[in-house]
Amino acid sequence: MEILKVSDLKKTYTSRMGGSQVQALKGVTFSVETGEYVAIMGESGSGKTTLLNILAALDKPTGGSVMLDEKNLAEVKDSALASFRRENLGFVFQEFNLLDTFSLRDNILLPLVLSGKSVAEMKEKLAPIAASLGIEKILDKYPYEVSGGQKQRAAAARALITHPKIILADEPTGALDSQSSSDLLRVFEQMNRDGQTILMVTHSTDAASHANRVLFIRDGVVFHQIYRGDCTNEQLYQKISDTLTMLRKGGEVR
Amino acid sequence: MRLYAKMAAQNIRSNARFFAPRMGTEAGLIACFYIMLTLAMDDRMRRVKGGEYLPTFMWMGVAVLALLSAVLMLYINRFLMKQRKREFGVYNVLGMEKRHVGRVLFFENLFSSLLSVAGGLGAGMIFYKLCSLVICRLLQTDAVAGFYYVTPGTVIPTAVFFLLLDFCIFIFNRISIALMKPVELLQSRSAGEKEPKVRWVMLGLGLVSLGSGYAIALATQSPLEALAVFFLAVLLVIVGTYFLFVAGSIFVLKTLKKNENFYYRSQNMPAVAGLLYRMKQNAVGLASIAILATGVLVMISTTVTLYAGYEGVLNKNYPQNLYFEAGFSKEDGTSQSLSPEELERMVRGTADKNGVEIKAIEQNEYLYAAYLLQDHTLYVSGEVDDYNMTDVGNYFFITADTYHKLSGDTVDLAKQEIAVCSMYDPSGIKDITGTLTIHGTAYDIRQNLYHFPISASYLASSFACYGVVVSDEQVLNDIYLAQKEANGKYASEMTRRIAVTFADYDKAAAVGDSLDADLRAALKEMSDEGDVIQYNLNTRWNAKEALLGMFGTLLFLGVLLGAVCLFATALIIYYKQISEGYEDRSRFQIMEKIGMSHQEVKQTIRKQVLLVFFLPLAVAGLHMAVVFPLLTRIMRVLMLFSVKLFACCTLGTFTVFALVYVLIYLGTSKTYYQIVR
Repeated sequence: MEILKVSDLKKTYTSRMGGSQVQALKGVTFSVETGEYVAIMGESGSGKTTLLNILAALDKPTGGSVMLDEKNLAEVKDSALASFRRENLGFVFQEFNLLDTFSLRDNILLPLVLSGKSVAEMKEKLAPIAASLGIEKILDKYPYEVSGGQKQRAAAARALITHPKIILADEPTGALDSQSSSDLLRVFEQMNRDGQTILMVTHSTDAASHANRVLFIRDGVVFHQIYRGDCTNEQLYQKISDTLTMLRKGGEVR
Repeated sequence: MRLYAKMAAQNIRSNARFFAPRMGTEAGLIACFYIMLTLAMDDRMRRVKGGEYLPTFMWMGVAVLALLSAVLMLYINRFLMKQRKREFGVYNVLGMEKRHVGRVLFFENLFSSLLSVAGGLGAGMIFYKLCSLVICRLLQTDAVAGFYYVTPGTVIPTAVFFLLLDFCIFIFNRISIALMKPVELLQSRSAGEKEPKVRWVMLGLGLVSLGSGYAIALATQSPLEALAVFFLAVLLVIVGTYFLFVAGSIFVLKTLKKNENFYYRSQNMPAVAGLLYRMKQNAVGLASIAILATGVLVMISTTVTLYAGYEGVLNKNYPQNLYFEAGFSKEDGTSQSLSPEELERMVRGTADKNGVEIKAIEQNEYLYAAYLLQDHTLYVSGEVDDYNMTDVGNYFFITADTYHKLSGDTVDLAKQEIAVCSMYDPSGIKDITGTLTIHGTAYDIRQNLYHFPISASYLASSFACYGVVVSDEQVLNDIYLAQKEANGKYASEMTRRIAVTFADYDKAAAVGDSLDADLRAALKEMSDEGDVIQYNLNTRWNAKEALLGMFGTLLFLGVLLGAVCLFATALIIYYKQISEGYEDRSRFQIMEKIGMSHQEVKQTIRKQVLLVFFLPLAVAGLHMAVVFPLLTRIMRVLMLFSVKLFACCTLGTFTVFALVYVLIYLGTSKTYYQIVR
């Protein structure tokens, strides 16, 4: 079943003085199935961030549509947007975006608190997630007291706790060292095996090689995609890096 | 050099949000400083009726203001520097050396300083005339002629003081920049802070301190004790306020956090966690605001009450219009040459000469003598060898009958009983209780009085002063004769006191100076002939002038300093809001990304801001309410007895203060929203 359907998505930025126009997205079309783990790759300026912002309902497209679980994002009212995002989407950011005034526990519980859930329900939901991410012991610590990898796992727990329809991850390994990165990617794989749909934007070949499918964006359009098929992570890594080399040479992909 | 100057000017313009309040504040302080200094030195003002109190009080005000200015400017500077450290770090990274940054800082400081001094002095000169008019109005005299009073004698010291203050601040900043590493400059704003722990000892001390301060304020009954314990109570309350804000706030917030059903609510969690996170730096600021606010309330409400109640004080102390007192020797109760009839004739003659009609004349007698007080016994000098200067005191003796006539109050005394009033003591007023032995006779002290009708001209000497009421004429005469014998040629004589009421008070007051002079001349003549030892003249109009002068000047000072304190409060709040706004912005951005709506963000902010704002006001109100009974008793020492008047003035002051406070709140929270949004 298609959980996310993006059709002919366009976004044009007009400079402040109304002069020049920049087309960030020129018609992006793709869809994500329930339980899929999709990575979107592209260089800086390819339109990745714009795409993610539109998917996260932080920005509005100038054309095309985004359907999340058969609901058009454009039809969600502004006043209901915050709760819509809270209940349907989970976010993992490059710079973690944990609040330094909250302990990790409170950071993870924040979406539930905002939704007005009962304390009992919060505890019930937190326990398994914290256990599977291996952060039960550091829940009462504050963000500045733990490592980057632990912060990102807490952020992942925060994204998971509402059981969102899809998790949007923006360069989740971007601020992590290689050990923490591979730990986090294993966590993502695990989450995906448990049935969580994940859409990850990255330009790390390593990060992308953990996904089921990799989309390449260049100059505002989906340029190419690779399916994992029966490949191992290593084989997929090789395929991705071949594709990136081709892209960089500017040639057409077979 | 021109480049640095240009950069400095550019910085001031682009950082107007920080610089404008700083320059405005400095200009305001300079204007107040200039006005007070000029009032202290303006001869024309001193010659105004009642104006003789101006120099003393205004110099006091200048000293307080100088201290307040230094503290306030340092506070603002610390805040400004904290906000701008990042900017300096960027300069450093961009290749400017510290000495270059120092030069930019120097020019910034110079420009803002010169602008403030120019603006402040300008405003001071403009408002000086207004202030002098206000004072003349308060003193109920005609305004002084002439418009402006500008002398280098007040302009230069004011400018020099503030330029010097700014220069010290610059040196301080230059040194702190020199000690900084560029990386630290870049990072200084993002340092994490540990969650504060509840400091139980501090919490306990705070509770005990505030509790005992309150207990003292509520339990002290005697006005004299009240005056003595006032500063202790103030100190305890200040310490208690600081400790409770620092330790108590964290205790309360932690308790709230422990209550999960309360804490895990979208409207509570961000506010509680945010407050807890920054309480360590906030608590001191909030406590300062609360104490400043209490200070403003006490200062303004008491001075307003004193001024509004001067008439009551006058009526209490001068029920009649004119008094004069003449000392004379007498044996067995009769004067040798100064008969009551003779004196009355003299007064009537003088009144006729000046064309005013006398309604009533009353005469009474009292004894005024010096003693040493040791072990509940009064000794004359020579009777004890070993004594301190603090044992020396002046004593008034009157009969119960005279006391009743002069004050309207009644004391019931048996032959062996007396009533004692401790009027003044440079080493701190204390009551004498139990018994008092005078010339070999032990008298029981039946009661302590808090007001003695004969006092005005004898207060403020360097010795203690007591009033003693004895049962009747015979006891008074016994004491007089015993004293005369003991002191020999240094003996004190009886004093005859004449109180005159005129038919038309205003008419008499109008010719007051001439009445004064004629009476003095007549008395002098009489004393040359007979055995009048000394004489003394007091009039209600002179007393009114003195009271108005003192209370009016105090009111002006209280209101001006109160306004400065209020402004300081506003400024602390403003800068606090701004610095917190910048810190909170990123937090609220994250919350919005996670799924908090604009509406929820706004609610959370409002909750936090309201709490931070109105907690100090509430605490100030509570302090004021508790200190109120203590203050009413102290006001009684100053002869102000109307609790109702004081209550009205205090309530009025609080209302005005709260209104201004709300305005400050509305103004600064707008800036805060603008930053956060």
